[in-house]
Amino acid sequence: MEHIAGNPNAPVFGIAAEVSSAAELYHAAEKVRDAGYRRWDVYSPFPIHGMDQAMGLRKSWLSALVFLGGVAGLTTAVILQFYPSSFEYPLIVAGKPVNFFTVPAFFPIMFELTVLISAFTATFGMIILNGLPRWHHPIFSWDRFKKVTNDGFFLAIEATDPRFDKESTRELLEGIGARHITLIHDDA
Amino acid sequence: MSANEIKPASREYFDYRGFGGKMLFTVALAVVSLGLAAAGKFFSPQQFAFSWLFALTFFLTIAMGALFWIIVHHAVDADWSVVVRRQLENIAWLFPVLALLFVPIVFVSPYLFKWMNIAPGEDPLLDDKAAYLNNTFFWARTVFYFGFFILSSWLLRRNSIRQDKDGDARYTWSSRKWVFPMLPIFALSLTFSAVDWLMGLDFHWFSTMWGVYIFAGSALSALCVLVLLLTALRSAGYFEGVLTLEHYHIIGKLMLAFVVFWAYIGFSQYMLYWYANIPEETSYFLRRNTGAWNTLNIIMVVGHFFLPFVILLFQGVKKRPLLLCAVAVWLLIMHMLDVYIIVLPACHMAGPSPSWLDLVCLLAIGATLAAIFMKRLGDTPLWPLRDPRLAKSINLKN
Repeated sequence: MEHIAGNPNAPVFGIAAEVSSAAELYHAAEKVRDAGYRRWDVYSPFPIHGMDQAMGLRKSWLSALVFLGGVAGLTTAVILQFYPSSFEYPLIVAGKPVNFFTVPAFFPIMFELTVLISAFTATFGMIILNGLPRWHHPIFSWDRFKKVTNDGFFLAIEATDPRFDKESTRELLEGIGARHITLIHDDA
Repeated sequence: MSANEIKPASREYFDYRGFGGKMLFTVALAVVSLGLAAAGKFFSPQQFAFSWLFALTFFLTIAMGALFWIIVHHAVDADWSVVVRRQLENIAWLFPVLALLFVPIVFVSPYLFKWMNIAPGEDPLLDDKAAYLNNTFFWARTVFYFGFFILSSWLLRRNSIRQDKDGDARYTWSSRKWVFPMLPIFALSLTFSAVDWLMGLDFHWFSTMWGVYIFAGSALSALCVLVLLLTALRSAGYFEGVLTLEHYHIIGKLMLAFVVFWAYIGFSQYMLYWYANIPEETSYFLRRNTGAWNTLNIIMVVGHFFLPFVILLFQGVKKRPLLLCAVAVWLLIMHMLDVYIIVLPACHMAGPSPSWLDLVCLLAIGATLAAIFMKRLGDTPLWPLRDPRLAKSINLKN
């Protein structure tokens, strides 16, 4: 019997299915990866170690972004401190020089701003790279999917994937041993 | 993913076949350099005293760092470090040897610690510190530090080795129970031994961050030695299917963390004294920021922090054993320089004057420790064979 979720007249979002454990989800992910799919995702109540490799995800770009954030923070601190204190309005404080050698006094700010902007980049970069904030997702219209925050392990192959095909994708999921294979439509 | 399967481990014990030559060379090196150092003690006792303290401190900090990682491993009930723990235990179990190698310090201590030669009433600053800085208390503390280091490294290693035989989980529990009282005593022992043996070189000077600073260098250099040791064993064909690049990745991350931590502590200590600019506090840095000592200091700041920091940022470096080993060797050289800058300016105030005894003492202590380490290496399996968490450690995923 054909399971359908969402609005049957709306475009297809993808095909979702349920497996019974984290280990099964891991091995299912390996098989979907090996079948060459690119636009798909797994959903579980908790993070699963090694899932990145099982899904064939490459290294995230986040670390590069964080590095740039750190450089930006460091540069900001250097400019904001050296420009006024050494060029615009040099003030001698506690007999300390106003040239480069006063750098120990500026280190704490340089350190803090580097950490602060890196941390902001890491947090917000992670959120954006994850596609968040996102208020709704087509898979929410599937009732079984509510288990994902409790004891459900799901995977969904999206229709935008070049290899997506209603029949062959369903067969792949059946071959993996996934249950409750459901065609998910968009809501509107 | 299945966390319960243990891959067959090929060689669990160190095989001495074909190793005799290296062993013999190390023993010969140790004997010759110990002899030369002994000669140095009679020709230039002052230089010998400082060179010996420099070399001993370098290796002592590494052993302390190894003990720290074992204690933390048990305290936080870590998984990942199970396969590398035996080698840390082997390093920390060098404490009895280090205690023996400390004995020469007893005989040359008046050269090192000026306060020992000053009678009460001559120096008001010393009189104020007399309750702490007096011969009886000083040597009693020294005995306590070594007693604690030896006892704790022995206890944790014994538990670990006994577990190899029957795999009983109660050894894990026993170690975990012991490390909690050990943690604060370890922190105090490291801090006060650093105060006694290193800060005591200039008894006028004081720093409340001293212990943490020495600790930061210790924990970092122990990781560096661990990486080199594991890689040497790995390239000799051990640890196959046991030690993976994931372990290297974690050790690399910890190295990066401790490079930053060392710089953070070192800079915090420096900046407060630089800013407040009070003569009794700045004396330490004034001497080391003048002339040729300053050049060495700048090399250390760049080489101990900026360079390894930037290099270790890259994930690829942490996952390539040979690159990580190169960084580890470099960091050990920098740690050596750090200890050199701590100890030797108390002897050569005007500027660094390298002595043949510096090298001889390093070789003497290093070769002695290496020889005894290699002699014991085959006594136990190279990793804890029956630790309840071994499978989790082998199947580590970052």
